[in-house]
Amino acid sequence: MAKNDLQGTLDLLVLKTLDQNGALHGYGIVLHIQSASNDLLRVEEGSLYPALHRMEQSGWISAEWSLTETNRRAKYYKLTPQGRRQLEAAQESFDQLVRGVRAVLRYA
Amino acid sequence: MALFRRLTNLFRQPAIDRDIADELQSHIDLRIESNLASGMSPEQARRDALLRFGNPTSTRERVAAFDASLALAGLWRDVRYAARQLRKSPGFTLTVIATLAIGIGVNVAIFSSMDAVVLRPLAVPALDHVMVLAQEQQRGKQPVTLADYTDIQRQNRSFEDLAVLQGADYTLSGAGDAAQINADLVSSSFFRVLGTQAFLGRVFDQSECQPGRNAVAVLNYGFWKRHFGANSRIIGQKIQLDQHEYTIIGVLPRTMQYPPAVDMLLPFAPTPAQLSNRSDHTYLVIGRVRNGVSLKSAQSEMQIISERLAKSYPATNQGWTVHVEPLLSEINGDLTPLYYKLIMGASMFVLLVVCANVANLQLARGVARRSEIAMRTALGATRTRIIRQLLTENILLALVGASLGIALAAIYLHLTLVFMPARVARYIPGWDNISVNGRALTFSVLLAVFSGIVAGLAPSVEALRLRLVDQLRAGSRQATGRSRLRSIFAVAQISLAVALVIGAALMAKGMSSMFHQADIYSPEKILTLHPDLPAKRYDTPEKQAEWYRAALDRLRSLPGASRVELATALPYTDSGWQLDLSIENRPTTPGKLQTVVRLAITPGYLDAFHIPILDGRNFTQSDSIHSLPVAIVSRRFADLYFGGANPIGHRIRLGDSKSHDPWLTIVGISQEANYSLWENDLPPAVYTSFAQQPLAGSTIAVLSNGDPMALASSARKALASIDAGVPIDPVQTYRNLIRDNLVGLMYAASMLALDAFIALLLSAIGIFAVMANLVGERTREIGVRLAMGASKQDVLRIIIRRASWLTGTGLVIGLALAFALARLVANLLRGVRPDDPVTFAAVALIIVLVALAASWFPARQASRVDPMQALRSE
Repeated sequence: MAKNDLQGTLDLLVLKTLDQNGALHGYGIVLHIQSASNDLLRVEEGSLYPALHRMEQSGWISAEWSLTETNRRAKYYKLTPQGRRQLEAAQESFDQLVRGVRAVLRYA
Repeated sequence: MALFRRLTNLFRQPAIDRDIADELQSHIDLRIESNLASGMSPEQARRDALLRFGNPTSTRERVAAFDASLALAGLWRDVRYAARQLRKSPGFTLTVIATLAIGIGVNVAIFSSMDAVVLRPLAVPALDHVMVLAQEQQRGKQPVTLADYTDIQRQNRSFEDLAVLQGADYTLSGAGDAAQINADLVSSSFFRVLGTQAFLGRVFDQSECQPGRNAVAVLNYGFWKRHFGANSRIIGQKIQLDQHEYTIIGVLPRTMQYPPAVDMLLPFAPTPAQLSNRSDHTYLVIGRVRNGVSLKSAQSEMQIISERLAKSYPATNQGWTVHVEPLLSEINGDLTPLYYKLIMGASMFVLLVVCANVANLQLARGVARRSEIAMRTALGATRTRIIRQLLTENILLALVGASLGIALAAIYLHLTLVFMPARVARYIPGWDNISVNGRALTFSVLLAVFSGIVAGLAPSVEALRLRLVDQLRAGSRQATGRSRLRSIFAVAQISLAVALVIGAALMAKGMSSMFHQADIYSPEKILTLHPDLPAKRYDTPEKQAEWYRAALDRLRSLPGASRVELATALPYTDSGWQLDLSIENRPTTPGKLQTVVRLAITPGYLDAFHIPILDGRNFTQSDSIHSLPVAIVSRRFADLYFGGANPIGHRIRLGDSKSHDPWLTIVGISQEANYSLWENDLPPAVYTSFAQQPLAGSTIAVLSNGDPMALASSARKALASIDAGVPIDPVQTYRNLIRDNLVGLMYAASMLALDAFIALLLSAIGIFAVMANLVGERTREIGVRLAMGASKQDVLRIIIRRASWLTGTGLVIGLALAFALARLVANLLRGVRPDDPVTFAAVALIIVLVALAASWFPARQASRVDPMQALRSE
């Protein structure tokens, strides 16, 4: 699959994770995606950050520094209203993609 | 919003960098923490966290790229890095900048002058909407009649506005010196059609375009500057035009020199008789089409109107149509844009040669940079990152080169402006506007980016091919791909240079043969004067003949003047205007045109210009206004219109069927002479006696024994003593007269020659660099050969053979290119053949010599390799 589609998928995963969990730091997002996908999906940890910053610049998520449960400083991200709309759109297009791919596989 | 945030981020770069580093570090710390919690050793926990995270430096850069506006900060970093790298090798940097400055400078100069002369000669808003209307019939295009103009104006829907222009000559007196001026009578809509306002004062309006109210004048900028010294208090002053008083009410802007050689505009106040005339084709009509109306639809509407007019007025309008043409192409004509395209194309060639050269230098420098690039790759720089860096470096170089190039272009343009004779410049609209302006600056930046990318491409491809492990291993040998790429560049340079040099040589040859066509007349010994009798005072042939007789008498008595003759045009100086011809007792065949060139001459003219009489007699002093009107025809005339039969004794008449010219009796046949500088085929010519029929616009030729310009002031004085009010300028040698007519061509040829010279120089440098590099790479091999007993000659031969191969390949491609270019040049110039073996061979020889000379030094160096040294250095 093309690189862009994978990137779009990463955006979708991050947005969905933040939608379900409220504020999370990058490491938390990695852990959540891994556990929620039953270990099927592993994000290369470094590559998450360019995506987070891009989405922040696009106004989909907002960030602030805060303390973790273990009293470490970490940057927490949460969904903005614009991000929620983006999530819906991304989910819709992903569903279409999946339906499309399925349909092709069925008749292939 | 997002863009704004990114832009503000740009100014907080250090804070943001720290923030990102903190965030990534906190991620790694969290991973270490949970690794420790799951029972790993501290060492293991750390290693695992870093492995999972990937390269933190490159991640940091990628993250930062999203925070700054379009990675501007990263770009700035690249630029600073590039600048540091370039400072490290000043020799390379200066060479590249100088080369690029030449390449870009040439292009900017040409573009600026093309922009001013061809693309926007007039500062008219939406110039492409302005059209010229002409009436056309089988014989060609003619100006419009006033009654037709009025009908077209009333009936059409295509044009917002139409304007009418009529040329007129006046003698100006009053403010400033007395002078003969060209004025145009124009309708007040003229200013609306061109969308121009006065630069000083105002322009006239409809109410002033009526007889009795029309005594106002609007000056053209050039004339205002020339004649009134750009005096801004001129508005409101009175001037005399042919003894009538006019008030100067305005001056047009500098960029509105239209019609080209017109000094002032006066209101066009037609009389009722003029308005109803349908046969007097003398009015130039321009119009501005409405928005959205194409040339084609305007043309088809004119077609309908012409058909309607032909039906209503069959006597005058049958067979006439109205032709619409953009003003821009009318101003430019056919040749000027072609010349500019030719030079612009050649200059782009030069830029390509420059790029090839820079790329070559970059490749040479790449050897030294390999380990640097390898190191950066090892540290996590992606390929895109490296290429971006290389391109940044090249574009930076090109931009610096471009700014230098702009300075060169400005100097060059200044020089061309200074050297263009004012007499010629007046006829080139836009010439005075040439400058390095905003568009030229934009163009140069585009060129810089273009050449930066082109020149940086090859090193980038190289960088991509780089194999990391090989490079980090010290002392690795050269890859062969590099020298192949460099050879290709050298071949490309040679072939472009061959094409340009041949093109330039052909053009120079053609130009010089045109310039020397008149050498048989010893043009450097002939002084020419161009009297222009004010039509109002010299209104009868008798008065004109009297002035000419007196003028010739006085000039002939000047010491130093061996002969003084008069003709309407000297050989190679005529515009080639052709007249209709009727032959007595021979009906004209419809559809078949009989035309001739007409020259009015003095009896001694044919002899002075070595044009022999083949049959019959020459004009004599006894041919006068009162004697039988006679003519001498050229041999070609006799062949064409009398089929070789003897035309002597037949009668002919010049002008169309309504002509009032007298019937002329043919008394002689002359040898051919060529009057046109540009045309190869000689049109049939008819000579008439100037004494019998003086014509306006003549040239007096004063043949001198020594320097003709020494006669200039006494000749002026002699003529002023007859009538000081008759302008006689320009007064110059016949040779300079021809040169002025060729000045546009000389401009083109010298530009092409400059381009060719630069290309030749660069290709010599290019082949030198390739050969030097080759010798450097093969030093060890050469050392081995010498150690094994090869002689110095053998080594020399190896290197020269390689150079010959490169040159030969370049030559073959170049000759093919040159042939195409030569055909283009041959279309532009007479005397140029695309298959000129001498020029082709000579240029090929020059290129071979230059290339061999350039490779001689590296070859000699190779033959002097000390085998011991070469082998030890490994």
